Amino acid sequence: MNASIIGQMAVSGALMGLVYALIAYGFQLTFATSKSINFGQGELVMVSAFFSLTLLNLGVPYWAMIPGGLLFGAIMGLVVERAGVRLALEQKSEGWILLTIIIGLFFFSAAENLWGRDDRPFPTPISADPIHVLGVDVTRLELSVAVGVLAIMGAIELFKRRTLLGKAFEAVSADRDAAELMGISATRTVMLSYALSGAVAALAGILVSPITTVGPTMASALILKAFSVAVVAGLDSGFGVVLIGMFLGALESLASFYLGSGWREAPGLVLLILALAVRPTGVFGKAIIRKV
Amino acid sequence: MFKQIVQGSLLLTALGLTAGDTVKIALTGPFSGGSAPMGTSARDGSKLAIAEINAAGGILVGGKKMKIEIVERDDEAKNERGALIAQELAAMSDLTGVIGTVNTGVCMAGDKHLQEKGITKIICPAAGSASMTQWSKAGVKDCSIFRFAAHDGIQAAMVVEEAINRKFTKVAVVFDSTNYGVSGRDDMLDQIKKQGSKLEVVAQEKFNIGDKDMTAQLLRAKSAGAQAILIWGIGPELAAISNGMAKIGMKAPLIGGWTLSMSNYIDNAGKNGNGTLMPQTFIEEPITPKAKAFIDGYHKTFKVGRIPSPVAAAQGYDAVYLMAAAVKQAGSTDTKKVKEALEDLKEPVQGVIATWNHPYTKWDPADVTTHEAFRREQTVMGMVKDGHVVFGNDADRERLRKSALSATPAKIKGKKK
Repeated sequence: MNASIIGQMAVSGALMGLVYALIAYGFQLTFATSKSINFGQGELVMVSAFFSLTLLNLGVPYWAMIPGGLLFGAIMGLVVERAGVRLALEQKSEGWILLTIIIGLFFFSAAENLWGRDDRPFPTPISADPIHVLGVDVTRLELSVAVGVLAIMGAIELFKRRTLLGKAFEAVSADRDAAELMGISATRTVMLSYALSGAVAALAGILVSPITTVGPTMASALILKAFSVAVVAGLDSGFGVVLIGMFLGALESLASFYLGSGWREAPGLVLLILALAVRPTGVFGKAIIRKV
Repeated sequence: MFKQIVQGSLLLTALGLTAGDTVKIALTGPFSGGSAPMGTSARDGSKLAIAEINAAGGILVGGKKMKIEIVERDDEAKNERGALIAQELAAMSDLTGVIGTVNTGVCMAGDKHLQEKGITKIICPAAGSASMTQWSKAGVKDCSIFRFAAHDGIQAAMVVEEAINRKFTKVAVVFDSTNYGVSGRDDMLDQIKKQGSKLEVVAQEKFNIGDKDMTAQLLRAKSAGAQAILIWGIGPELAAISNGMAKIGMKAPLIGGWTLSMSNYIDNAGKNGNGTLMPQTFIEEPITPKAKAFIDGYHKTFKVGRIPSPVAAAQGYDAVYLMAAAVKQAGSTDTKKVKEALEDLKEPVQGVIATWNHPYTKWDPADVTTHEAFRREQTVMGMVKDGHVVFGNDADRERLRKSALSATPAKIKGKKK
């Protein structure tokens, strides 16, 4: 096989991998502050995509729809936090695992009833025509995914490092009890992390929908990969998820070309098993020393 | 408790009485999910015909005009749902017939329950060859299952001919992993062999329902030098193929089963779908007064500007008229008598696709075409053009117009026997 095909498969895979990275980043945001993960993150991606599509159908211009969609995602993130996570965290239980799954299922049924089960196209002003770069065809749509993902991740990282609220976020991530003693409200910070995570999920939905179409089951495949990426990269490295996301995307795409399309899902699972067996903190994760 | 039982049985008797005054026909199919454009179109086309018949007073059965009563069931394109629905329908004592089913797998899973009870079913619009060949393979002596769709055998022959006529020599055969896709692949490979292997199959690629990224399959086809893609699948994944081809700059045309006219293919593929070719039994163009009335009626009744699947809608419409003609000829709502009448329809039935002159003959397990209504001449090549399906060539338009206006010649095979 010639090099251009390998390049083509690797590049289009890696660009899709950035969507996994973005969803994995959503996992990281909430894990940092509350040590909890929204297992209904995929449903958040889906309902936000449907909501954004509804805005478009109501005649809202594309660029005005994006903040609307992000706001909706943030609100849905807060709903998950209030209805599921906070209750469990207050009782210091692991109940958030089941609760977030159940809220996700609720979102799924609601979406089926509100918008139906069909896959629908998601219009975008960004052209799907390919551009030829160094022997590889890339569409502007795929590039927009890369730009969108890196932009929002960059913005959130800047916010965490440069603003007072962001510093509070980092403080709670580092040591919740110490942060509370310094007068930082851990509850509010957890709420903020869920809102951000919801907005990130919404952006993932808006970016990926023009490529994959919108439907109630659209995120089920994405979410498994995103989870692999989050675990393999480590649950506290934003930089790591980008690299691992792109790596996994490229690997999947190459596997489906060389081994056959049925083998597409295999690399993600193999990576996940390897990571859990060899390095449970993730490739880029920090080993936490617990003092007893 | 006793009172409830008495009330219940009284209610049942009352229902039984009303059911006796109607012709009960079940309409089944996927009304949600990826196959929904076909399912809802077939159902709504059928409903249009039923509304017309009922508005005219109903069907004359043994000197009494009887209205048609509809039983509607959504199989969600799921084989297990289809089997459950078929079991439920088979248990109904007063059912005259069933019209429907889009997915070949659903036919395979459910129709055996209907066949066991001898319930007359007209499959519409499922085209997979396996839905009918399962009965000939089983050597069934008396088959109550009929089909009203251009089966994949006809379609595959047309697809292969089209590729040869366009002077292609290397093609990729691409199909989905369902019963429908695999049986379509077999039909295409069979036809390629029959044509003396003028086409070389340089790649055989499979995809799954729900797949969005087809780059791997397409790149393999492209690097093997495929000049055209012969394809069997349904709307959403077909669109993913079209969009994937545009992405990797593959200019080869897509030629495949009639499902390439589904609205969810046309919409999701957008301009990438232009030039796609597929066999059709009905094109949404008012080529005859009857076609015009049908198209306008559908648009008005269901408030759409375009029929989601014109082929399925027109077939559903004509299938109801065939069933009604059989009920009238049998002079009975008994499903077994209707079956016998359907096998020997004396009067031509004027439909929107064609005038159906003796469409079915007595079942012969050695020849599935005895229960197939469509022949090559009722099928034309359609082409996607700017969001609509148009005639692939003008000669076809004329042929379909003639076929709808004048009675089709009676089937030669049927006459011989």
